Amino acid sequence: MGGKIRVLIAKPGLDGHDRGAKVIARALRDAGMEVIYTGLRQSPEDIVSAAIQEDVQFIGLSILSGAHGHIFPRVLELLKEQGASDIKLIAGGIIPDDEIPKWKEMGVTGIFGPGSSTVDIVDFIRAQSGA
Amino acid sequence: MLDSQPQRAAARLLSWIEDEDPRAVAALQATWSRTGNGYVIGVTGPPGAGKSTLVDCLAVHAAAQGHTVGVLAVDPTSPFSGGAVLGDRLRMNGAQQQGVFIRSVATRGHLGGLTATTRYLVNALELLGCDLVFVETVGAGQGDVEVVQLADTTVVVEVPGLGDEVQAQKAGILEIGDLLLVNKSDRPGADRLAQELLSAVELGEPRDWQPPVLQVTAIEGTGIDAAWDAIVDHRAHMEAGPLADDRLARQMHELEQQLQQQLFRDRMVTIGDKALRSAAERVLARRSDPFSAINRLAN
Repeated sequence: MGGKIRVLIAKPGLDGHDRGAKVIARALRDAGMEVIYTGLRQSPEDIVSAAIQEDVQFIGLSILSGAHGHIFPRVLELLKEQGASDIKLIAGGIIPDDEIPKWKEMGVTGIFGPGSSTVDIVDFIRAQSGA
Repeated sequence: MLDSQPQRAAARLLSWIEDEDPRAVAALQATWSRTGNGYVIGVTGPPGAGKSTLVDCLAVHAAAQGHTVGVLAVDPTSPFSGGAVLGDRLRMNGAQQQGVFIRSVATRGHLGGLTATTRYLVNALELLGCDLVFVETVGAGQGDVEVVQLADTTVVVEVPGLGDEVQAQKAGILEIGDLLLVNKSDRPGADRLAQELLSAVELGEPRDWQPPVLQVTAIEGTGIDAAWDAIVDHRAHMEAGPLADDRLARQMHELEQQLQQQLFRDRMVTIGDKALRSAAERVLARRSDPFSAINRLAN
């Protein structure tokens, strides 16, 4: 794959705290990736449809509101329905530690909670993309 | 949600085109006879003029009229990292809800407002069935006029507060508009800017199409109907005559440019780094002047 790594960053749910999402977007940009930033209050349908149109390899979701319990399964389900399960889901924000194994099993590729280093996230995405 | 399989195929083709993957050439060669059905509307203007919001409004309006609409939204690539944050989509929720196909595109080092491959990105959207394609340039400076090489109708978006009336007389971006829109017309100075633009248009030689100057406030959806009608008028004007010649001239220009690049690349390979280096050494040592060195290399 000689292509650019493209990542969609979205902020689903109703909380408006998008600083984390913006920090990640900037870090990925500085690592040479193309980041499609879609902003606040995106529905799972919006996110999956945008990810398909933008031909991204990764969707990064930032969720602080606790809505991940609804949003992760729905995004994964929509990706599957659309034949787009090759798009990997990465999540950040407030995800309780004891839930992480469950979400990984369900298909969330990476989970990065508060205090994660942007370098680790960049490395993880590079490794996952095979670049 | 729209049927995603054709969208996925189109999205992948767009990526191949952007990455200059050889598969893009093969795919476009195989499908070329099915492209060319799209009418291209270019939207340009300075950073922060509200281009994305305006494209969102116009795309929603066009979709409601029965058009299958595609959007290419170009944003700059970082010259340092090669990465980009593409944020135009943020302003295009309305169009997204209407099923408009939106693609964010990074310039990847290309200057002039578009990207090296935008022409072929339009073709990929045509294959998806889009009969109307909006191309939003990067926030453009006075000289970023490349969009006219691609667009059938060019919309220039200006906003109050950026400069005085002499700005309106300068050459460049204001000359390329088939339609001049003063956005954010709820702000002070908008009426005056519209007046100044109108006088600038009227000062020029009369042309068979005089660009209308209209005021809009895209964020509130004000003036969009009139802006759309002006686009439709310009399209009718073009299709009644000048469009065929215009497209031929643009296609010639396009082929010439790509031919130049290919000939240049081939020639540079023939000349080789070694000859280039030894020429540079001779020029630096004053054993040759640069003009003679270039002549020797070129022949």
